[in-house]
Amino acid sequence: MSDVTFELRRQPETWLDLSALTPDKLHGHTLTAIKAIRLRCGRRAGNVGDLFQVSGDDPLSLRFVDACRSFVRLGHGMTRGRIRVNGHAGHYLGQDMRGGQITVRGSAGNWLGAGMSGGSIEISGDAGDFIGAAVAGAMHGMTGGNIVVGGNAGKRAADRMRRGTILVLGDAGDFAGSRMIAGTLLILGLARTGVGYGMRRGTIVLGRMPAHVPVTFNDCGRLKMEFLRLLFKQTADSRKRFGYFREFGPEARRFAGDIAAGGQGEILVLLNASRRRSA
Amino acid sequence: MLVRLKGAVVYDPMHGIDGRRMDLFIRDGIMVPAPRRDTRIDHTYDVRDRIVMAGAIDIHTHIGGGKVNIARALLPEDHMPYAVQGSPILRAGSGHAVPTSFITGYRYAEMGYTACFEPAMLPANARHAHAEMADVPIVDTGAYALLGNDDFLLRLLAGKTGQKVINDYVAWIVNATHAHGVKVVNPGGISAFKFNQRDLDLDVRHEHYGVSPRRILKALARAVHELGICHPLHVHGCNLGVPGNAETTLKTIAAVEGLPLHLTHVQFHSYGREGDRGFSSAAARIAEAVNSNPNISIDVGQVMFGQTVTASGDTMLQYRGRRHAHPKKWVCMDIECDAGCGVVPFLYRDHNFVNALQWCVGLELFLQVRDPWRIFLTTDHPNGAPFTTYPRLIRLLMDRAFRAEMLDRIHPEARKSSILDSLDREYSLAEIAIMTRAAPARSLGLQTRGHLGRGAAADITVYEPNRNAERMFSKPALVFKDGVLVVRDGKVIQSTSGQVHATRPAYDRGIERVLKQYFDRYHTVSLGNFRIGSDELLGFGRSAISVHPCVPR
Ligand SMILES: [Zn+2]
Repeated sequence: MSDVTFELRRQPETWLDLSALTPDKLHGHTLTAIKAIRLRCGRRAGNVGDLFQVSGDDPLSLRFVDACRSFVRLGHGMTRGRIRVNGHAGHYLGQDMRGGQITVRGSAGNWLGAGMSGGSIEISGDAGDFIGAAVAGAMHGMTGGNIVVGGNAGKRAADRMRRGTILVLGDAGDFAGSRMIAGTLLILGLARTGVGYGMRRGTIVLGRMPAHVPVTFNDCGRLKMEFLRLLFKQTADSRKRFGYFREFGPEARRFAGDIAAGGQGEILVLLNASRRRSA
Repeated sequence: MLVRLKGAVVYDPMHGIDGRRMDLFIRDGIMVPAPRRDTRIDHTYDVRDRIVMAGAIDIHTHIGGGKVNIARALLPEDHMPYAVQGSPILRAGSGHAVPTSFITGYRYAEMGYTACFEPAMLPANARHAHAEMADVPIVDTGAYALLGNDDFLLRLLAGKTGQKVINDYVAWIVNATHAHGVKVVNPGGISAFKFNQRDLDLDVRHEHYGVSPRRILKALARAVHELGICHPLHVHGCNLGVPGNAETTLKTIAAVEGLPLHLTHVQFHSYGREGDRGFSSAAARIAEAVNSNPNISIDVGQVMFGQTVTASGDTMLQYRGRRHAHPKKWVCMDIECDAGCGVVPFLYRDHNFVNALQWCVGLELFLQVRDPWRIFLTTDHPNGAPFTTYPRLIRLLMDRAFRAEMLDRIHPEARKSSILDSLDREYSLAEIAIMTRAAPARSLGLQTRGHLGRGAAADITVYEPNRNAERMFSKPALVFKDGVLVVRDGKVIQSTSGQVHATRPAYDRGIERVLKQYFDRYHTVSLGNFRIGSDELLGFGRSAISVHPCVPR
C-alpha cells in the first residue's frame, strides 16, 4: 500500500477548497473515484483529476507534495488517518479536526487547527494568525488535541482555546492566548504585546520573559511547579527531537490574570529554559 | 406568446375552484381565458393530474433590513456549513436560519412562493431594507413601515394631537418609504425600554410620554383604516412570550373597537399561566376570539424544532430572552430613536416543556380558527423557524397521523397539557390554497396575485400530487413567476427580478412643514434624503413598483 499522493498540475488562480479530501472521506474510494471528486476553486468547481496528478492506493494516508497558499480547509473535520504536506498548507488547515494526524514540512496560514477537538497537527515552519483559535462567531477555539509549530506563530494564537496543547518553538505574535478559557499554550520564543489578554483560565508557558506582561496580571513571584516537570517530560517523550525539554527545570515566575476579565489563568515564565532548542 | 398548462387540477379559492380539471392559458405573463379554438398556442406544458395553485404569498417573513443583517453577522456558524456554490445563472450564498438574500429568493421560489412581505421595516432603515430585498431574486417583495415607538408619533400622541395629523404623518411615512402597510411592534414598549421600563402592558403609561400602548394602537389602527390602506394595522402586541399574555391579546382585540386588525405571530401571544409550571396554552380562547371577531385576522408564527435565530424590533422582549440565547450570544440596540432591534439565537427543543408547548399552541390555533381566510401560515421566519420548514408545517396541518406521531416525541408534560391530540381537523388542499395564497392576497389588497383568474399575474405553482404533503410542497414540479418558468423539479432554473408592492395613501402636504422642523432639529438625515425616490427604489434592482390603490374611509 502506498500513500495517495496529490501533485498540483498548476497553481490555482484563487483559493482551492480541499475539505473534500480527508482520509475518512476518501476511505473506500478507488483512484478513479477520487479523481472524479469535485473541488471548489473560487467561483468555479473542478475535478480532482484535472487539478492534481493523483497516484497511490491507500486513502488513509494522503500526501500533498507541492502544496501552495491557495489551499484552504485541508484536513477539515478529519477523524482519522494521516495527511502529509510539503509546502504551504494554506488557511484553515485541520479546522474542526477530531482525530488523525497532519504533518507539514513547510508552513501554514491562518486558523491552523481552529476549533479542533482531537488529533495532532505539526508544522515545521511558521503558522499564521489564530492557531487553535475560535473562528469568527464561534464561542470557543480548540477543545482538544495538540498543535506543534516549529517556527513562529502569528497573532492571537489560542484565542478562546478551551482544552488541548499548543506548542510554539519560535516566537508568537500579539495577543497570544487571548480570551483563553482553558488549555495549555507553550511558547519557547518571545511573546509580544497583550499576551494572555482577557484570559479566564488555562496556562501560558513562556520560555523567555516578554517585554511587557499586561498590568492586569498579578505577579505571584517565583514558584517551583511540579506540573511543569510533568509537562516537559511528556513533551520530551512525545518526540525524540524534543529530548531537550527534559533539561528544563520546574522553576517559573507566575503571573495570574487576566484580572480585567475576572480571570484565574496564569502566565508562567520559565527561569531555566535558557538551553534553547537545537535547530 | 401564448402558453397552455394542459390538464391541470386547479385550486383557485378566489374563484371557488376546488380541484377542477382544466386548461390554463398565459399570454405574456398574464392569465387569459381559453382562446378560440383556432388560436396558435406557442407552448404547452402537460400538467395532467398535477395540482396547480397560484404562487404562494408569505405575509410575514423577515428577509430584509437591519436586524436580518445583524443576525447574519452574529452567526457565522449559520453560514459556514451551509455554503451554496454559484452557477452561471445563480449567485452563490449561504445560510440556514438567515440565508443570504439570493439564497432566500431561490429557496422561496423552490417552495412555490412568489411574494414575500417584510413586516418590520424601520422607516429610518427603509433604504437599506429595500436595497436588500431587491437582491432577493424571483419573488415580489413589500414591506410594512414600523411605527408606534418613534419619537415623533409619541410626541404627537403625548401632545394630544388630533387624528388628522396622525393620519397625515402615517401616510407621509408610507409614501416616503414605499411601504405596503403599517406595523406596530410592542406599541410604545421599545421606546419605554430605553426609559428603563422592562415591561409595558396595554394600559400602562410610558414613563416619559405618558402614553399607553392602547392609545398608540387605537391611533394607528384608525389611521390605517381611515387612510384606506388595504392591509389592516399589522400588530405585534405587548408582552410577547410572557406567560399569561393571552389576557393582553384579548384586550388588544377589544381595544380597537371593531377596526380591522392583523395580529401577527399570535402563537407567541396565546399563553396562559395555569398548571404546575405556570405556563399553559390559551390557544382555545384566542381562537374563539378570532372566530367571533370578523375584523381580526392572524398569522400564527408556528414554532418548529431546531436551531434558528430570533430577530425582532422588540428590544424589551429580546432583552428578556437573552438568557436563553443558544449559542450564547445576543445583540440589542437602538436604531435612530425610531425603534430598536434585538437578535437572540435560539434552539427550539422538542424535549423542552416550554418549546414543546409553544409548538402545540401554534397547531392548536391553526386547528381551532375556523375561517382559513383569516389565518395565515407563517413561522415568523426566522423567529419560530426558518421558512424552509413550511412544507413540514403543511403536513402537520393536513395529516392527523403524522401530527400524532410528532406529538408522541415531545415533552410528555407538554403533550398532556395540550388538547392537540383531541383535535382531528385536517386541512384540505383548498384550505391550504386559501391560507397561503388567496387570503394573504386579499388581506394585502393584491388584485392580480393569489389567484389564477383572468388578468392575474401568471405566478403559478404546479405540484406533483403526493400523499406526503411535506414532499409535495417542498418540491414543486414547475413554478412560474410572471409567466416565466423559474423552477423545475424543485430547483431554480432561471432567476428573475420581482416587483415591489407599495401603497400611496393621500395626505395633507402641511405635515411636511412640521416634519421638516423636526428633522432639522433632531434627525440624522434631512427630510429630503429620508424620502426614497421611485427611481432610486427601482435602481436597487426590482423590475417594477406595483402601486395598490387606497380607498379612504
Ligand atoms: Zn415577525
